[in-house]
Amino acid sequence: MPANDHYVIIGNGPAGNHAASTLRDKDKDAKITIVSDEAIPFYYKPRLTRYILDEIDAKDLMVKQLSSYSDSGIRLRLGQPVDRIDPDSKTVFLHHKEEIHYTKLIIATGSRARVLPTMRSYSDCLKFISSYDQVMEYKDDIKQAKRFFIFGGDLVAFTFVRLLSKMNKQVSLLIYPNAFWPFNLNEEMEAAIAQSLKGLSVDLLVKDDIKAIAESGNGYRVRTTKGKELNVDMVFSFNGLIPSVEFARGCGLDIDHGILVSETMQTNIPDIYACGSCAQIYNPDINTYTTSIGWPNAVAQGEVAAMNLLGDHKVIESAGRKYFDLEGVKVKTTWWEDIEERA
Amino acid sequence: MVEIQSKYLDEKLDQVRAMDFLQYRSGDLPTWCPGCGYFGIMDAFYKACRQMELKHENICTVSGIGCSGRTPIFINSYGFHTLHGRSIPVASGLKLARPDLTVFAVAGDGDALGIGGGHLPHVARKNIDITFILFDNSIYGLTKGQSSSTTPYEMKTNSHPVGNPDSPLNPIRLALSYGASFVARGYAGDPEGMKEVIMEGTKHPGFSFIQILTPCVTFDKSNRTWKNLKENVHPLRMSPEADNMETAMRAAENQPFGVGVFFKDKDRRSYQDILDGLNA
Amino acid sequence: MKDINIVIEICGSAGEGTISAGEILSRFMSSQGYEIMSFDSYPAEIRGFGKCVAHTRISSSVINSPGKLADVLIALNDGHSISQLSALKKGGILIYDSQPAKPHEEDKSVLGWADPSVVSYGVPLAMLAQKAAGNLRGRNMVALGAIAALFDLDREGFTDSIKARYAKKKQIVIDSNVNSFLEGFDWTKDHIEKKDTFTFDGVSLEPRGEKLIINGNQLVAQAALDADLKFYAGYPITPATKIMEILSKELPGYGGTLLQTEDEISAIGAVVGAGYGGIRAMTATSGPGFALMTEFTGLSVMAEVPAVIVDSQRGGPSTGIPTKTEQSDFNAALYSGTGDCPRVVLAPTDTASCYDATVLGLYLAEKYQTLVVILLDFFLSNSIRNIDTPKKPGPQMLNANVNPTEEDLKDYKRYKFTDDGISPRAIPGTPGGISFYTGLEHDERGRPDYSDKGHLAMSEKRYRKHASVLKEAPAPVISDFDGDRADIGVISWGSSAGAAHEAVATAKKEGINAASFSSVMLYPFPDEALIEFAGRCDNILIPELNFQGQFADYAQGVIKREVTRLNFITGRPMAAEDILDKMREM
Repeated sequence: MPANDHYVIIGNGPAGNHAASTLRDKDKDAKITIVSDEAIPFYYKPRLTRYILDEIDAKDLMVKQLSSYSDSGIRLRLGQPVDRIDPDSKTVFLHHKEEIHYTKLIIATGSRARVLPTMRSYSDCLKFISSYDQVMEYKDDIKQAKRFFIFGGDLVAFTFVRLLSKMNKQVSLLIYPNAFWPFNLNEEMEAAIAQSLKGLSVDLLVKDDIKAIAESGNGYRVRTTKGKELNVDMVFSFNGLIPSVEFARGCGLDIDHGILVSETMQTNIPDIYACGSCAQIYNPDINTYTTSIGWPNAVAQGEVAAMNLLGDHKVIESAGRKYFDLEGVKVKTTWWEDIEERA
Repeated sequence: MVEIQSKYLDEKLDQVRAMDFLQYRSGDLPTWCPGCGYFGIMDAFYKACRQMELKHENICTVSGIGCSGRTPIFINSYGFHTLHGRSIPVASGLKLARPDLTVFAVAGDGDALGIGGGHLPHVARKNIDITFILFDNSIYGLTKGQSSSTTPYEMKTNSHPVGNPDSPLNPIRLALSYGASFVARGYAGDPEGMKEVIMEGTKHPGFSFIQILTPCVTFDKSNRTWKNLKENVHPLRMSPEADNMETAMRAAENQPFGVGVFFKDKDRRSYQDILDGLNA
Repeated sequence: MKDINIVIEICGSAGEGTISAGEILSRFMSSQGYEIMSFDSYPAEIRGFGKCVAHTRISSSVINSPGKLADVLIALNDGHSISQLSALKKGGILIYDSQPAKPHEEDKSVLGWADPSVVSYGVPLAMLAQKAAGNLRGRNMVALGAIAALFDLDREGFTDSIKARYAKKKQIVIDSNVNSFLEGFDWTKDHIEKKDTFTFDGVSLEPRGEKLIINGNQLVAQAALDADLKFYAGYPITPATKIMEILSKELPGYGGTLLQTEDEISAIGAVVGAGYGGIRAMTATSGPGFALMTEFTGLSVMAEVPAVIVDSQRGGPSTGIPTKTEQSDFNAALYSGTGDCPRVVLAPTDTASCYDATVLGLYLAEKYQTLVVILLDFFLSNSIRNIDTPKKPGPQMLNANVNPTEEDLKDYKRYKFTDDGISPRAIPGTPGGISFYTGLEHDERGRPDYSDKGHLAMSEKRYRKHASVLKEAPAPVISDFDGDRADIGVISWGSSAGAAHEAVATAKKEGINAASFSSVMLYPFPDEALIEFAGRCDNILIPELNFQGQFADYAQGVIKREVTRLNFITGRPMAAEDILDKMREM
């Protein structure tokens, strides 16, 4: 065991980083380590879409430079996936066979792209925009490609569609109204979306579904239930996110879709906290666990988790930060619901 | 004054030239003080060379620094006046390079046991075939009378005017413990005896250590004087076989004025022989 | 054709086969026609757990410096490799053991400290070695297999290089090593998805004759044997010890003698004694030993006895840093000791020139009856190159003593005044040549002479040899000028010269008008050539591995101008990049 406290944070997103900086503010002596399976330092994930299309450059993508971590005495471990956690010995096992010992642990691993169960057989044909490493692999392909098929539809998708059509790409967009993530698409929002797409040469498919996707030449052929056949270069899936918590399963933590935590971000195991979109927070008003997404929520939860870890008793405001603004569409946030079954 | 001295010396030279062994004497005049024991050592050396019929050009004498350092210049043969304390390393290199030469190393007590004391154990244990002659007058003469490694305890010297605080080394005992295969002592007032040990040492195939007791007539008026030496020096009281280390050690301890051969190991091979054997 | 230029470092603990793996890599790449330069660093503590690094630069074109940063780091030992990460390029490649026998303690894994830009490949080194040979010794070979697979190297050719390396070992040793390599190669091909873009594929090099894979110490020893060395005396000291060890084995076969002495005073004393005896003799040492030899440097010059000292420089002063390279004995080599003491100092500029400098040193010492210091450094002593077999010295280089004529012997004067400063030397044993050598100031016959005229005349005679030496010294290496003048002239010596010439060649391609100058001859220095060169350059840059700019001080005194200095003492050799960076600033 380390001589001083060692606060280990798994996850290098907004929740993890704000937890780390809160901890550093309050405790100058503790060792603080952030572990992340992504190799890139803290970046604005919502800006990935614009970054890969060269709308913004690398410096606008980054939140913090590497040096700011060493300056504040935070040990950053990037590109180092966690295999498992052992709460009894308070050890985090890294994939490269290193054992890290913590006195307190915060899990803030966020979430990753969800593949619709019906689409799993086509997963090799699908592209996602949910992490830097992932998108860098096909950044160049996107520039080369001319025809895109995009389905599902969440808020990130709209930025992508708008930018693609600005680049004179041919875009087909299939919207799942009942699977609009994380909300059901209501009339108000649908109107707003239609408004935002106005003037763009987007082939909008509604009340249709994918029947099959097959490789065809260098691209793909998409057939819909309504009998449409589309030859495209790339197929993108925007069907929401699911918590990245596989490594934590089986260690004794209570996990549903995400890690279950109280209003104070405390898990069922002492000295382990979870925050951000990997956590499901107990909401006493509705007596259930819900997940909140979005940058501000993650920041707030990271701070609360850190304060409570240090002995405070802060309760996350479940009613707060209800709205967030994306591409001019004001959206009311709700809590994560089990859309897996409804899809 | 100079002329008179020069004339006196010239006459002396003529006298010694008449003697056969002085062909080994060079034309250069020794710079030692009149009455110095070193003249006697040189006489013995020339006589030994004469008797062994060594070729002049095959003799090499290596010296260090001090009154003894000038020795090679007075020998009609090749000579190398090196650095203070270093006659042994140079002589070792020379002998290994030129086994055909007869190599002598000479040094005073300060030279051999003080500044160059670190080399003695190694040349002895290696048994390199050189004949080492220690001109032991128990004082630093060339620098004018300071204590050396063999100056007696409490003797007053220019560096220790109220008495030497250091205990003297016993050169014979050292050489024996270092494993020298031939250890002898001569006395500067006994050229014949010295000649015998020098000859025996030279013929000995390996490292020969010969200590010569000699006075410093200028800077030592009390200890190793001609008078004291004459009164005390005696032939070694032990078996002339000299093949017993214990006896030799006891004699080194108990007979500080005994002259003769303390120890010789006839069977021990010289360094060159050992190397030749290993590399055969 | 694709240009290959890559630096691979293998880092492990003493006893993990780090250095042998580096050797095999060098051997194989050389056999494929590549230029190689490799440099191992190892701890002062020999056995146990010290850090070893085998650094190998591989290139399809000529290389003169070891390269500053590594493109690839193979971590045989996580603990030691952590501190080696700082020498890995951003975006470089890391190969580590993904299945160590037991998990790493916190902060003890190399991947844990790797820069996020590094492309890492986990290979189960220990597991595969165990599988291949039943023990963990072959981890180094598994790692070589991994690198060979990743970079599309010839599987069978590599196997041959391993067999050649262990040719003298028992069959089981050869088999274990080969099998471990193959296990690593095949596993990597099957399991590793290549994420970097580096490959040797598609490079075809002209086949070349058999190359020697050799380091400076080995070449010094070989040159000495070829140049008729008959006596060596020495005392063990890093990084020169290997020279003594090689000669200890080889010299008797050449009819010579090796003497291990009790200290360096005795070593140089014996060398002077043997030189006086008329045979070629030398010693090799490093800073602290050279300091002890100082008193004999004066005697060699004063008594006019040939002696050669190889000083392989290490970090100083005092005991300093025994296993780090430095060029900080320039002043000591030229000026050690007291009085006006003109000796000869040579500094080979690369591995191959260690041979030529040694041959030349023994020749000059014998002919001019003086001390020759040959300055190597830890890097030159230990870095390995593949070079053409050096040409053996001809008879004119082997019999250099100026013997006295019959006329001379009629009235032989050991220190006879002559135009070139060389007095015919009668070797002991020569009838009629009987003479007296001394470290005292002397007259022509060697008799002590303290007169002012005598001292002046003898000093002039000793310095006349300098002028004579310069006439037959190798000319400085000077690059072509683009036009009459250059903006930057880089003047270098010793092991930094290769990096300097390489930097200037690269700078020219970048449009910097530069020229370079280096000289193996350090003392006497080709001053006239230096003045002429400097006169054609607007700025002078002098890179050297010492703190004060020892050579720069000398050069400034000659060219009477301020020079720009590039000095560092980090313990690593000068790289072309270091000099280039400075040139771009200028």
